[in-house]
Amino acid sequence: MSLHLLRAGLSGLAIMLVPSSKSFAHEIVGNRFFPATLTIDDPGVNDELAFPTVSSFKTGDDPSVRQRDFSGEFSKRITEAFAVSIGPTYSHLSPPGGLTGMGANGFQNLETTFKYRVFKDPAHEFVMSVGLDVEWGGTGAASVGADPFNTYTPTVFFGKGFGDLPDTLSWIRPVAVTGQIGYAIPGRRSTTTVGIDPDSGDTTTDTEFHPRVLNWGGSIQYSMPYLKSAVVDLGLPDFVNRLIPLVEATLQTPVSNTFSSGTMTTGTVNPGFIWVANTFQFGIEALIPINRQSGTNVGVIAQLHFYLDDIDPRGIGRPIFGDASPPATPFGRN
Amino acid sequence: MHRSFYAGLILLLLLFPTGSARAHALLDHAEPRVGNTVATAPHEVTLWFTQKLESAFSTITVTNSAGERVDTGKTRVSGSQMAVSLRSGGAGTYHVTWRVLSVDTHTSNGSFAFQVGP
Repeated sequence: MSLHLLRAGLSGLAIMLVPSSKSFAHEIVGNRFFPATLTIDDPGVNDELAFPTVSSFKTGDDPSVRQRDFSGEFSKRITEAFAVSIGPTYSHLSPPGGLTGMGANGFQNLETTFKYRVFKDPAHEFVMSVGLDVEWGGTGAASVGADPFNTYTPTVFFGKGFGDLPDTLSWIRPVAVTGQIGYAIPGRRSTTTVGIDPDSGDTTTDTEFHPRVLNWGGSIQYSMPYLKSAVVDLGLPDFVNRLIPLVEATLQTPVSNTFSSGTMTTGTVNPGFIWVANTFQFGIEALIPINRQSGTNVGVIAQLHFYLDDIDPRGIGRPIFGDASPPATPFGRN
Repeated sequence: MHRSFYAGLILLLLLFPTGSARAHALLDHAEPRVGNTVATAPHEVTLWFTQKLESAFSTITVTNSAGERVDTGKTRVSGSQMAVSLRSGGAGTYHVTWRVLSVDTHTSNGSFAFQVGP
């Protein structure tokens, strides 16, 4: 395989394996506020804007490449339970990244996510959604690893708060977990490139197989706002009462058509915190690679995220069709 | 580049202060305080929220350890504050359940407990 193709393939694989720096929805379910997590999606369906999201990490390529991403995402509810989001990402690869080894800049493929909330149980702080993410092939720059074909990822999302635990376990009630399982299906099984060997003059062919990948991950969170408003008010400073320490994990496992990629699971574990205000949140996390193929150094991701449904509830922050926010629990029971 | 980025970030933060009047109404604090113990049964429970409430659809219910309602049923709303009077009660765990409609039409609900006793 030529150096040129090797670099292209490796950078494409590495970019596929690093955590996406898009942003995700927040959700309120009974007592529970699920913040928008930074590196995995959560079950929330809402109107929001994440801008900017910035990340920096060293990829799992050999040699490793410093990659810096700058992205944003806009999510719009069509109905109360159905939303569409779109988000571009601009990447900078330091040398020896890119097709020429001199570094590269450019947009990744544009991504669109369609998400529908299928179940919400306020009493048990449980919510589940299904979605389809489409990466539009050819909309990004090949120099930063953007594929020329579409990739479709149907995904299931869930969130569960532990607020229904008994009084004896009240200190664990602020804990919540979220998770996602998706299956990325490339629109093309393989790409074959024909070339000429400069030494022999013979025709050569290189085939890169595009694997189907299980995208899975989760988060565990401890909500200080929940602790204060639903368990015990310790009289802590307001800054502390708005913190949600959490650990996210985002993992990718190639599961079929793995001739080029192998089947090794890659990903990162991401400890950090989210600070929640009334109309926005700020989050920052470390990106700790789980193995050499996932990266060579600890990276970082940070994000500013706006809740449009709270900023402009009668305008851009309401669904296009239907009620803006029906009660989670109908009134009139008392 | 870096300087302009941070300047923009600070501007955005200033445009969206934490005390914005338009958001989901979430419980800020309560009296008696959430999860705390008071020596004698209070005459009322008062809740403060993160934004103004619509009185017509905002309610508080309070039950005692036996699960019996001890509130008078008449919730009073003033701005971002909501209160309900209690009938006289004894020691034990009291559960407070609230539902509110904020002035921007968002609904939210929640619950917590406090203790009465030595």
